[in-house]
Amino acid sequence: MTVTDDRSTPVVDFDIYDPTLAYPVDTVQEKVAELAAKGPVVYSTAHGGHWIVTRYKEAHEVLRNPETFSSYPNNLVNAGDGKFLPLELDPPEHTAYRVALQPLFSPNRMKALTEQIRAVVNELIDGFAGDGEAEFISAFAHELPTRVFLALMDWPLEDAPMFTEATDIALMGKPGASEEESAQARAEAAQQMFGYFQKIVDERRANPGDDVTSVLIHTEIDLADGKRLLTDEELTRMFFLLLIAGLHTVQGSLAWAIIHLVNRPGQRAALIADDGLIPSAVEEILRIEAAVVMGRRATRDVELGGVRIKEGDQLIVMLCSANRDADEFDDPDTLDLERTPNRHLSFGAGPHRCLGSHLARLELSIALEELHRRIPDYELVESDPPVLHATQVRGCLRLPIKFTPAS
Amino acid sequence: MTAHDTETKRGTRRLVVDRSVCAGHGLCYSRSPEVVDCDDSGYPVILQDILELEEHIAAAEEAVAVCPERALTLESS
Repeated sequence: MTVTDDRSTPVVDFDIYDPTLAYPVDTVQEKVAELAAKGPVVYSTAHGGHWIVTRYKEAHEVLRNPETFSSYPNNLVNAGDGKFLPLELDPPEHTAYRVALQPLFSPNRMKALTEQIRAVVNELIDGFAGDGEAEFISAFAHELPTRVFLALMDWPLEDAPMFTEATDIALMGKPGASEEESAQARAEAAQQMFGYFQKIVDERRANPGDDVTSVLIHTEIDLADGKRLLTDEELTRMFFLLLIAGLHTVQGSLAWAIIHLVNRPGQRAALIADDGLIPSAVEEILRIEAAVVMGRRATRDVELGGVRIKEGDQLIVMLCSANRDADEFDDPDTLDLERTPNRHLSFGAGPHRCLGSHLARLELSIALEELHRRIPDYELVESDPPVLHATQVRGCLRLPIKFTPAS
Repeated sequence: MTAHDTETKRGTRRLVVDRSVCAGHGLCYSRSPEVVDCDDSGYPVILQDILELEEHIAAAEEAVAVCPERALTLESS
């Protein structure tokens, strides 16, 4: 890819995979705001060159136009050792997958899990409420989506540590290692997961249950080569995506809820006083820090936000800065739990809208409700601050909190 | 619609969803269940073809405003 000869194109060396972006202090929003100030679309020389979309209008346009902006490849690094399915497919192939998947993650099906999720939430809080302190990620934010999602898929909970390690490597590479070593580690982690899911597929083919995994194995999909069952490779590539998408994003959003509400005591007090605020609070927590940095590839020469993008050029879409675009949101850097309307893009837009959004909203709602009922005065621990990470799925690795011990 | 109707209220409206644009975010029926429900895949189902009550029109306006895809419009009927 070459930088256009248009000299007005802002050129930067921003790399979303640079570990120092988020550690020791999370500066992602700050750095991305600097990019947004340069232009709605800027060019980075990192990863062989790519465009960075920073503003709401352009992000919306890219996400809703899969014909011009293909979702393959989604990642600047080879996170999945091949395609993630169906994320890295375009319509109409992608549509066929969604027709099969959407009913399994529909609002009504997810709503039916409410009491089950509330039980998990309270069981986890029981585990630390009496201590007056906790490492919120390992005690709660990691465990909640893991338990809920593994139950839905009927994947063994005891395998969760292995899932976690493999998905961490897929997203973040190997800490401290060279790019080549990280690439090698990513490929190995992906292959390990494919091997694991192959065993699950074999087992559920033989003994189907009523879990989502079994249903997907036995659902025919209307693909280009006719209506058929998914192959083992298609299934394992889809399960790997569902795993990454279902766990890390919720973990990060729960952590950001705590961090932002600690910083806004008035807003937290309002939420504690009135749990009618929960639905709009969830949307605002989602808006203020979007976890996902989506990737797209231009399928034709196109002008976007005043720059000329060439066929084959790679783009990333910074939802976290689109969500703080003053043209769309009043006072965008301020957490406002009553914000309305709040048309944030944290679940994306267009055909790839997050499949798990209904489940994520439910998990976040119940977690916010129960945490503020049971340990409402949580604070961060000054000597042991949160550890966040960048990459194309931003999130939180460690978040020590303290609070008045409760029963 | 008669002249009398326009004097006493804003007149009847029609809430329309553009299914080619809707991506099933589900905010419309979460916000305004009085006027929008959802189907088994999570796409909106408009409950009443013609909206007459002021409270339903207000709910429909909210549904239009929350949509990240701008898939809903409120038309004069």
